[in-house]
Amino acid sequence: MDTLTGWWDDFFWGSVVVLQVFFVALVLMILFGLLGSAAKLSSSKILQSIANGYTIVFRGTPEILVLLLFYFGSAITLTAIAQYFDPSIKFIDIPPFWAGSMAIGLIVGSYATETFRGAFLGVDPGQIEAARALGISHFKTFLYIRIPAMWRLALPSFGNHMLSLIKDTALISVIGLQETMFVAEQATGTTGEPFVMYLMVGVIYLSFSTVITLAVMGFEKYGSRHLEVSR
Amino acid sequence: MNFDFALILSSIPQLLEGLSLTFQLWILSGILGLILAIMLMLMRISGRWYLAAPAMVYIYIFRGTPILVQLFIIYYGLPQVEFIRESIAWEILREPFGCGILALTLNTGAYVSEILRGGVQGVPKGLGEAAAALGLSKVQRFIYITTPLAVRLSLPAYSNDVISLMKSTALVSTITLLDMMGIARVIVSETYAPYEIFISLMIIYLLITWVTQKIFALLERRMSRHIIQ
Repeated sequence: MDTLTGWWDDFFWGSVVVLQVFFVALVLMILFGLLGSAAKLSSSKILQSIANGYTIVFRGTPEILVLLLFYFGSAITLTAIAQYFDPSIKFIDIPPFWAGSMAIGLIVGSYATETFRGAFLGVDPGQIEAARALGISHFKTFLYIRIPAMWRLALPSFGNHMLSLIKDTALISVIGLQETMFVAEQATGTTGEPFVMYLMVGVIYLSFSTVITLAVMGFEKYGSRHLEVSR
Repeated sequence: MNFDFALILSSIPQLLEGLSLTFQLWILSGILGLILAIMLMLMRISGRWYLAAPAMVYIYIFRGTPILVQLFIIYYGLPQVEFIRESIAWEILREPFGCGILALTLNTGAYVSEILRGGVQGVPKGLGEAAAALGLSKVQRFIYITTPLAVRLSLPAYSNDVISLMKSTALVSTITLLDMMGIARVIVSETYAPYEIFISLMIIYLLITWVTQKIFALLERRMSRHIIQ
């Protein structure tokens, strides 16, 4: 514990960065998941094949590869565009925070696409027909009938996706984001105690995933409260 | 900025030089991880708390932390511990390859044991009771009744984990190993052509994923050939 003295605040701010990435990526993941599943369930062949391509590519390649492609790819593109206007510019990149959040949001979003698709299919079609018969618009049916019915079905897998998301944030240290892994690396450089430092990172991530697991359990209980009455 | 096709053609053979390392990591840790997973699963369903509790704690820790952290604890952290450097395990942990295998094995073991447990618990209770009524012992029931059915039930989820293990092997590039990902990172740092190199590598990984999925789909079809569809 003595070796950690002086590093507590660094680990704290690193954890804050992890949480920031987590929430930005969570929003992106829900967005891409909903768009992807909507495209897969649409009647348009073009949208279907775009969504299929999306899930095949992002579920079939290593996360770190997508991350590096995103970061270095965007940097080289931005630099080329900037140099076109101002040749004196040497290098521009997307901040690692945004490149990383975007990449893991896209990756986990491809898994969420399949989950949401399954959950939308699990909604009783009779409910949607009933809504149509009552003259409720497509958009309102989506918002008030489909979403409330599907989130409960999607929740168990969605919880797992959130766990993948928090764990994938550790990868972003590879492109230089100053989160807990980065702090541990710096602390190791100064103290020469990598075992304690990386164990600390492990403890931080374990507590995050415990909180997520408990939260999902709570939501599952909340989501099925109307089913418990009969028991 | 234009797309350099000559660079792609010249870099693909270089990338494929890392293929054998990727496969070694994948297959070796896949087999060792499966053995670990079977042991953990048996501990978990044994009904004895002193076996089940350690397995549960193990699974909780290894599923709750990123594999990159596990890899770094093993590669950077363990050599710092005195008695590990003096034990036989040092022979493995001295090399980054051994550390990579160890981290991937420990990680995949935790995930696969939960998949196998799901499979075992998915076998209908009546079958075991029928076998017990016919006079099969507990061990015989587990080997001849539960196992064949549990294997079939857990195969779809297991195939996903095999693919995710293949993707995890790319992380060993962070501990200086030159698998396909490691080689790609070296080429990119020399040529500064991330699109060409990383997209070629993506295609290679996608092909491996695709072939793996096909093999598992064939296996699944063969294992459920007696089911009338």
